[in-house]
Amino acid sequence: MSAAQIRFATLWRREVNRFMKIKKQTLGAPLLETFLYIMVFGAALGSRIKHLHGIDYILFVIPGLIMMAFSTNAFANNSSSILQQKFQGAIQDQLSSPASPLELLLAFSLGGFMRGLMVAVITFCISVILVGLPVDHVLVLIPSLALVGFFFSQLGVLTGVRAEQFDDVSFVQTFILQPLIFLGGVFYSAALLPQPFETLTRFNPIYYMINLVRYGFVGFSEVSIALSLLALTAATAALFMVNLRLFSQGYKLRA
Amino acid sequence: MHIEDLVKRYPTGVEALRGVSLEIAEGELFGLLGPNGAGKSTLIHCTTGLAQPTSGVIQVFGHDATGNYGEARQAVGLAPQEPNLDWFLTVAETLDYHAGYFGMPKRERRERTEELLETFSLTEKRDERTRTLSGGMKRRLILARAMMHRPRLLILDEPTAGVDVELRLELWHYVQRINQEGTSILLTTHYLEEAEQLCDRIAFINGGQIVGEGTSSELSQRYGVEKLEDAYLALVGRKELSRSHAEVTAS
Repeated sequence: MSAAQIRFATLWRREVNRFMKIKKQTLGAPLLETFLYIMVFGAALGSRIKHLHGIDYILFVIPGLIMMAFSTNAFANNSSSILQQKFQGAIQDQLSSPASPLELLLAFSLGGFMRGLMVAVITFCISVILVGLPVDHVLVLIPSLALVGFFFSQLGVLTGVRAEQFDDVSFVQTFILQPLIFLGGVFYSAALLPQPFETLTRFNPIYYMINLVRYGFVGFSEVSIALSLLALTAATAALFMVNLRLFSQGYKLRA
Repeated sequence: MHIEDLVKRYPTGVEALRGVSLEIAEGELFGLLGPNGAGKSTLIHCTTGLAQPTSGVIQVFGHDATGNYGEARQAVGLAPQEPNLDWFLTVAETLDYHAGYFGMPKRERRERTEELLETFSLTEKRDERTRTLSGGMKRRLILARAMMHRPRLLILDEPTAGVDVELRLELWHYVQRINQEGTSILLTTHYLEEAEQLCDRIAFINGGQIVGEGTSSELSQRYGVEKLEDAYLALVGRKELSRSHAEVTAS
């Protein structure tokens, strides 16, 4: 391995090591939360709703839950990891190393991505075992989930870099992301909503992400897959470029 | 290390460094003294990438430390003033990860970690999380971490601030030993006797400018005083605080 590869691997390892050391909180809690959603919406509501657009209600809901688990964990990991390191001053050890802004950004991003991916994969495996969750379009599912994970990783990095206190992180999580995710159609179809809520839902970017992932799993979508993928790719790339610029400038990282 | 006309202006308009120029020779133990807010830490942060200089040149062993900084950063080890340890890591992990950030291969990291744990009497604490360490142990760990990647220039930002006499003497011993082994050292301190005892040359910094530079005796001679403390007070414009002056007045 070259010195640059060792450096990057160590930066990335540090991020993974952090969440693995507190896995009850970083992996256990989100898995329990997702399982509870499946129980409530699958067993309780599912017994009443049965089918949505010809799909079992539980199978309709689970793709959104997997996407939600991936995104919220990727976001939470990166935002809190960066903010904690800024508070402790420990980030100085990385910032004063020969690591480039790109290496630092990618390592921070991939930490959250890995945590989100692990929660998503475990949820997926449990769903396959419990309710036989299918994978209809793997070629849409993999890039969609990867893009969703990377997008929220970047959002977490951006929030962590900008944040000056933990309140700043929880504000984004509680007052922006949570409502957008819940109102993005995880538990229902936008087509069933009365106006103006149906139209409003179509302005919610999370709605498109949920539909992409749902299409990958169960083959049903209310939006154009190609356009959604394109828009998500563009949004992720734009966010990445913003973060790279912030890391290069040392915004709120270097004095 | 070669620093030329270094200026650091913060977005608030505060000018922390106002045209600092400094030369530290290879193998030298160089002391930087100055009151709080004089610009010592800002100078160090500019050198190590923790602050971005507004203008000026910083070169470490001939390598640019601000633009294409890879080689320069590789050559520098920093022990900061505040213990900035990662709470999630153990003592041994702290050293291992640091060396990894500097591209050191696994086997070499392992050997160097053992060596430094032993040197700094931290072997028994190797698996403890850093937040459980005492203040003295944190200081030792920070120094060990700074040395982990075998830097040619070690920067120690007030390494003995707030430590007891025993640990201070212990740290002095480490610093002298590291310097004797060939590592150049830039040491900032508040303690004049520390600078006098350890450093080959000393610079006084005040108000973001270097106001005097030389060996301890050169500085005393230049300002016609007996003690380095009086030279320092003369240079920072606080002669009235001189203890010699007070003794003369009292008698």
